[in-house]
Amino acid sequence: MAARYDRAITVFSPDGHLFQVEYAQEAVKKGSTAVGIRGTDIVVLGVEKKSVAKLQDERTVRKICALDDHVCMAFAGLTADARIVINRARVECQSHKLTVEDPVTVEYITRFIATLKQRYTQSNGRRPFGISALIVGFDDDGIPRLYQTDPSGTYHAWKANAIGRSAKTVREFLEKNYTEGTIATDSEAIKLAIRALLEVVQSGGKNIELAIIRRNQPLKMFSAKEIESQVVNIEKEKEEAEKKKSKKVV
Amino acid sequence: MAATFFGEVVKTRSRAVTEEDDDDEEDAWTQDNYEDREVRRELEKKREVEVLQTQTNVSLEIPLLEQYPCSKFIIAIGHNAVAFLSSFVMNSGAWEEVGSTKLWNEWCRTAETTTLSPADAFCVFYRLKSEPAVFGSSPKRGLQVTLLTSRHVTDYRTPESSGSLSSPFLKALKTQSFQDAAHCTLLEQPNIVHDLPAAVLSYCQVWKIPAILYLCYTDIMKLDLVTVEAFKPILCSKSFRGLVKNASLSPEALTKLVTTNEIQSNIYT
Repeated sequence: MAARYDRAITVFSPDGHLFQVEYAQEAVKKGSTAVGIRGTDIVVLGVEKKSVAKLQDERTVRKICALDDHVCMAFAGLTADARIVINRARVECQSHKLTVEDPVTVEYITRFIATLKQRYTQSNGRRPFGISALIVGFDDDGIPRLYQTDPSGTYHAWKANAIGRSAKTVREFLEKNYTEGTIATDSEAIKLAIRALLEVVQSGGKNIELAIIRRNQPLKMFSAKEIESQVVNIEKEKEEAEKKKSKKVV
Repeated sequence: MAATFFGEVVKTRSRAVTEEDDDDEEDAWTQDNYEDREVRRELEKKREVEVLQTQTNVSLEIPLLEQYPCSKFIIAIGHNAVAFLSSFVMNSGAWEEVGSTKLWNEWCRTAETTTLSPADAFCVFYRLKSEPAVFGSSPKRGLQVTLLTSRHVTDYRTPESSGSLSSPFLKALKTQSFQDAAHCTLLEQPNIVHDLPAAVLSYCQVWKIPAILYLCYTDIMKLDLVTVEAFKPILCSKSFRGLVKNASLSPEALTKLVTTNEIQSNIYT
């Protein structure tokens, strides 16, 4: 049945599916995992770094991009589609600042990106964008925000979410471990993001990239050393927790 | 000569028949037929599947299983199943290569099978050197066949929503004579098995050979660690007992395989 209704984007199937949009969501699953966490005074974005070819310049393979000084996003899916969306969003951020003399709110830019994506699901001859995005930042009121958009053009606010390959596993981990305690401080929120990624990332710290935004501060990308030290701390804590457990059992 | 609707010229047989003409025309036709037959025969020969013995590089005249009778025959089809066998089963114990097959059909891009290097073999046969006793019994009696393969999860038909399926997952399908329990749930209707595994299972069913297929439904068709590890539950089965000695070496061997086979692609990030 899908065969006759999945070629053109503008055609509904008899049971109400837009197959091209659903297939675009499959393209998102082919990208590596990205996780976003909204803490009390911090927002964290963590991504699984794709292994870079030997001769490739690592700086040009980035999954976390700043849209403005106070907003940044991570994506999963088709790289080229992401570049287009990011460029449009960046232009919109500046245009808004010049027109209204205020920086964009996180919700505004998310809505802009989502509207852009939806337009491509209802246009003749175009295909949907094959990316999902996690958009984080602080508004002027100082409240941290995390939004997720998907190829269909919907967007929702989240406390913590994951996109890309193995997103389900990471989301289940976050559902179990996102508590008031684990986001109480900035360092706890960062640790939670790294722990969530370590559930699915194969070779540990060296394949993780992390970015944070603190209130009234610009985007900060963690260096490989800082991530490695965080991973080492997490593993130490894990060992200690296991030792305690085995002591209790004995 | 006649022109078809699309303008191509087709040679048609003339309907004007005279007695003398008949013989000439028939000769012409049989000549064409002879050439056609020659071409067809050559193609048939090219398409023949040969099993080459590794040591001698000579084609085996008798079936492989008669040359090397065994009681356990394990076939892995597809990247993930092969990676599972290589890293979990074949990394312990000494396995020797006993034969390989190459085949050709019109869809292959190369012209000749003889020029294909050994690395291009489509199927390689291995035998466990350290336990020839395992492979002592006569063929077809006491023979048990295990098949491993993977398929994309979108081929799996179920009344549940596909979002709730946690791929990768294993399903099994066995022949009537296979008495042991499968190590995962059986493949439900209306799902069917395709291609080589289906052919092997059908053959085993007809000849009453106990056989079981473990089919892994996954959402990543290329070589992938998570999919390969989904095959792990079958290591406890009877067919694999005694074959897996050093389970600790497996993750290393597997990571090595995955990294060497990874094709660099920048389309998805």
